[in-house]
Parts: sequence; C-alpha cells; structure tokens
Amino acid sequence: MPDLLDSPDSGRGDRPLTAISVSRDPKGSAPPALPFGSRLTEEAAALPLLLCQRVSKWYGPVIGVNQVTLELRSGITGLVGSNGAGKSTLMRLITGQLRPDLGSIEIRGHDAWSTSARRHVGYCPELDSFYEEMSGRQFVEAMARLYGYPRREALDRAAFALERVGMAGRAERRVRGYSKGMRQRIKLAQALLHDPELMVLDEPLSGIDPVGRDEFVRLFGDLASMGKCLLISSHELEELEKLTDHLAIMAHGRIAAVGTVAQIRDRLDNHPLLIRIDVKRSSPGENDSENDERRRLAAGLLKLNDVVGVELLDARPEDAVDPVLVRARNPQRFFQELTRLVLEEWYEIARLETLDDSTSAVLGYLLSGRSA
Amino acid sequence: MGESLNRAATPELLHYRPWRGEFRTPAASIWPIARVALTSIFQKWMFWIIYILGLLIFLLFFFGQYLLSWAETQAGETDVQLGGWGRMNPRHLIALFRGFLKLDGSAESYRSFFAYQGYIVMIVLALAGSILIGNDLRFGSLPYYLSKPLSRWHYLLGKGLAVAVFINLMTTLPAIVLFAQWGVLESWEYLFERFDLLLGILGYGLVLTVTLTVLLLATATWLRRTVPLIMMWTTLFFFCRLLSAAMVDGLRFSPRWRLIDLWNSTSLIGAACLGLDLETIRPGNQPPWYEAALVLGGVSLLCLTYLIRRIRGVEIVR
Repeated sequence: MPDLLDSPDSGRGDRPLTAISVSRDPKGSAPPALPFGSRLTEEAAALPLLLCQRVSKWYGPVIGVNQVTLELRSGITGLVGSNGAGKSTLMRLITGQLRPDLGSIEIRGHDAWSTSARRHVGYCPELDSFYEEMSGRQFVEAMARLYGYPRREALDRAAFALERVGMAGRAERRVRGYSKGMRQRIKLAQALLHDPELMVLDEPLSGIDPVGRDEFVRLFGDLASMGKCLLISSHELEELEKLTDHLAIMAHGRIAAVGTVAQIRDRLDNHPLLIRIDVKRSSPGENDSENDERRRLAAGLLKLNDVVGVELLDARPEDAVDPVLVRARNPQRFFQELTRLVLEEWYEIARLETLDDSTSAVLGYLLSGRSA
Repeated sequence: MGESLNRAATPELLHYRPWRGEFRTPAASIWPIARVALTSIFQKWMFWIIYILGLLIFLLFFFGQYLLSWAETQAGETDVQLGGWGRMNPRHLIALFRGFLKLDGSAESYRSFFAYQGYIVMIVLALAGSILIGNDLRFGSLPYYLSKPLSRWHYLLGKGLAVAVFINLMTTLPAIVLFAQWGVLESWEYLFERFDLLLGILGYGLVLTVTLTVLLLATATWLRRTVPLIMMWTTLFFFCRLLSAAMVDGLRFSPRWRLIDLWNSTSLIGAACLGLDLETIRPGNQPPWYEAALVLGGVSLLCLTYLIRRIRGVEIVR
C-alpha cells in the first residue's frame, strides 16, 4: 500500500487523510482576477478560491470521495490518480454538479452548489459530446447565454473565446466534422466564456497532437500568470510536469498527498530517493579497484545518517566515469551533507542525477508502491 | 494543428472587457436551453418531413372549411341529383358534409382536430424524445448545463419548454388558426360569441402540453434511445388503448378501466374544456372527466418524482 495512505492517521475516522497538505499561493502570484459582474471586496479576495472541508460523496454503497480536504488559491494544480480514484467526482463536486453527502465545498466563500459560486468556475468536462448538428459557434454562444449574459454580450464573448482557443476560423463548421483536438478547443472555449477565477479542467490534453498540447500548456500558463486557479486532471504526466509541480494525488477516493512534487517526494520515507553519482576517473580507461575513487566515496556516503544503501554500478572501461547508486532519506539534508563530503575530500563528480523524483515516479510510489 | 492559439492577444482577450451589466436570473436560461433542443431537432430533415406530414391534417381541416364555405356561396336553390338516391338541396348537402366531417366550427370540430393531430404528435415526440433529452444523459452532455449558474429545475424546464413548443406548434396553434379562419369565413361575431371555444382550445392544448411533456421527459430520461422510447409510447398509447377497449367494451368491465388509456383521458379532459357532453364521445361508456384528470395528475406527479430522483443521481457510476 502507498506510504501516505498507510500513515498512522489512516485508521481514524475523525480526520481527513490529507497526508501532505500545502496551501498554494504560487510563484509570481498575481492578484486574483475579478469575476464579471462583481467587484471582489478585500475580504472576499482574502478567502480561499476553493476550500473543500472533509468532503465525502457516496454512490449508493460505493464511496466516490472520502473525507477530502483541499485548499487552493491561485496557480495550477494537477489532480492525478488512477482510474476510479475519485478525480472526476471531486471535480463534479467542486463545479456544483454534485452535492457532497458530508463536508462542505466553498468557492470564494459561496457554497459550491449555489449559482453564485458557479459564476466563479469554468468547467471543461472530459467527455466531448456536443450537439453534433450545431456549429462550434452556435454551441459556444448557447453556453454563453446560460451564464446569464444578454444576447449581444453572449455573441461577443463567444467570439472572444473562440478566437482565444484558435477556433475562430473553424467555428462555423458543424461539430460533427470536428477532430478530437478541435472538440477539446471548443470545450475549453465554453469554459473560458465568463473569464472564471477557478478553472476545473478534466483531461484537457487528451487527444490533442503535440503542437496543440504545447499551445494548451502555454495558454494554461498564461491563465495562471494572470492569477487564475486551474485544477487540471490529467494522465499525461509529462505534460502536467511542464505546467506545474504542484499536485493533488488521489487514491481510493482520498487525497493521498497535496504539495509540490519535491515536498511529496521528501515525505516518502519508505522509498528512499535514488541518486546516481558519476565519479570522474583519475586515468580514463583504467579500472583499478585499489585506486577507485568511487569506493572511497561510497565508504564516505555510508557514514552519512540519511544514506540507507550504496551500490556500485558496472562501469564500462571506455567511459571516463564510475557510477554509484545511492539510496537516501531526507533528500534536503542528504544533499547538504553530500556537498560537504565532496568539498572536503575533493571528489570529482561528473554528473549527479535523481532517478525517481519525477511526477510519475512519485505517483507510482504513492499508488502502487513502485515507480510508474 | 492549423490555426494556433492567439498568444499575442492574451491579455486583452482573456480579460475581455469588463462586464458592467446585471446577470440575468437563472430562469432566463430556460429559453436558451429550449432553443438548443429545438435547434437540434429542426436541424434534422427527417423531422421537417414528419412535421409537414403532421400539418397535412391541419391543411385538410383548413381547406375543407374553406371549400365548403366556398361551395355554399356557389350553391343555387335548385335541387341536385345524387346518383340513384334521389334529389337534394345543395345547401342541405353541404350542411350534411359539414356535420359528418366535423368542419362546422363547433366544439366537435376542434375535438376531432386535436384527436387526429394527436396521433402525429405522439409519433413525432417518440422520435424526438431521445434527441431532446435522452442524448444529454446518454452521451454525457449534462455537465455543460449543470456546471453553469442554473439549477436542475431550470434544465428540466428548458427541455420541457422545447417539448411544449413542439406540441403546441402542431396542435394548439393550428387549432387557433382554424378558429380564426371560421370567424373570417362565416362571421366575425363567431370570434366573440364562441370565445369559450378559444378558451377550450387553449385548455385542451394545456392538458396535452403538460401531460405529454412530463411523460416524454420521464420516459426519455429513463430509456434514452429512440427505439425503446417508441416501444414504450406504443405500449402506453396503443396497447393500453386496445386493452381498455377489450375490458370495457368486450368484457363489460367498469368504464373506469378506460382510465388506463392515457390518450383517452386527455381526450376526456379536452372534451370537458370544449364543453362537450360525455355522450358525444366515441366510444361511449366513458368515466367522468375528473377521474381522468385525477389519473393524469397522478401520472404526471409520478413522472416528476422520477425526474427529480433521476436528475439528482445522474452521475451514478456505471
């Protein structure tokens, strides 16, 4: 079982299982964007954009979301987890499509179920089912009317949103003839219509070609830099890593961890960080075990408190380096001690690489006890 | 990838221009929802064909009334020979036709029109139900609506409005046109003297609208696909009709067994709206209209209860 789910808290029914929870107000935090039709008071702006408190949702005997606590202010947060982990249910709860059976969800202080909360939220669902006979523009315009804009305003906003997602030139075509990527753009356009503060995007990158993905990644980055909060669910971990390092990881209906990838990785005590250190050979081509620098380094590393294991990897004679694989806990302290050791003993390090601190590795450890 | 995202224009486009106006209430979204549903129906050529077929009955009544009025103005006083059956005054002959075809601007005439037109409406609604609402549930379009600032009731009312528009375009509106036509052809006083008929037409239309709308929303939400929906409507309006006729006319059971025929029940209430006596209704041996109203009210309530439960649990894991 994942480390964090097996934390001592997991058995207690009175505490949400938020093993690592880091409130987010990220880099370069711009002031929060103002929603249309309302001026945010200072008091309202101080409220978290999204606040889920001990939220649970059952589907009959099946629990979809279990005691989830999550607070988001601005920036991009990736929502990851395996299929059936409860991501889509959590998104539906946040967007007011479902009502929690227990707990509360607030958007800028409004109950997520209320219509006033939904004015702050733009939702891009995973399924791309539209009215196939309508044109893209007709669909987006119709969605704009549902936000409560008068006709003229709805037309203008639909035009802006279509322009923004690069669909202005193709908006007159029927949805029936759209590719998967074009459908994704139309979905995104309808979520952007009212310039929401919080955007909840369910798998927005699936089915999009690499060029389109880059464009979407840039667009999401732009939105975040404007102070908006984006909660993006995605299985495309590589793309998600380009967008953000802040993750909320879900497993079995619970938030297993929230925070930056590094913060979450630091807390995975049962899975020491894997670090490869390439030590430069004094004379290339030689493989003299007596004068092997890396053996001295390995011995030095084993004396450090946070090192749980050292492995000497096979080195090819033609290489100029000898690799060492280190398993260490508490990465921050380990790297400080490693720096001190290298400087004291004058080891020549050609390369230093952490092998399992990627999003997919962290996710793999959390969800299945091994690297993904 | 063709057209690229308009990165250069980001700041302007993302902030749009500030909205200074007042947002409309969620109730204002009912019509846009209905419009989307109607657009998706009317963009299918098949429905235009069925709609035009449905209007043929209206055209039959419209031109029937017109031709008989015209014939009346052309008829002389001299009797005409009717084959080997003897001679008859043409005016009497026209009056006979009017009475037989129910083209005389009477309450019977409008009841007859609603009855015939209703069959077409049922067929069209059975075909349209999956497009109007079933597909939203079947293909998962519902989140587009439910994530907007409106409630489930607004969504249902929007869809219901679309069905109501559809029903009234095929029944109430043509009936009003027939009423106005009779006034123009015969005498303007008719429009004022028989204003009760206009109210009766509106009442009959209302009964049809409420019953069929709620029933369609519930069955389309339940069955979603066109074929099962047609089968369900056939059972409700055809099989139940046969069954009730067999029980009351064949086995001589209580006339109350006719109440299982929902279409008959709408006709009974419609007839009451038009001020018609039970005796004028065929087949005879009918239950009182208020019992029919009670049954239709119960069925509508049942459908509404189902709709509330279904829409609440729409995201149930499949």
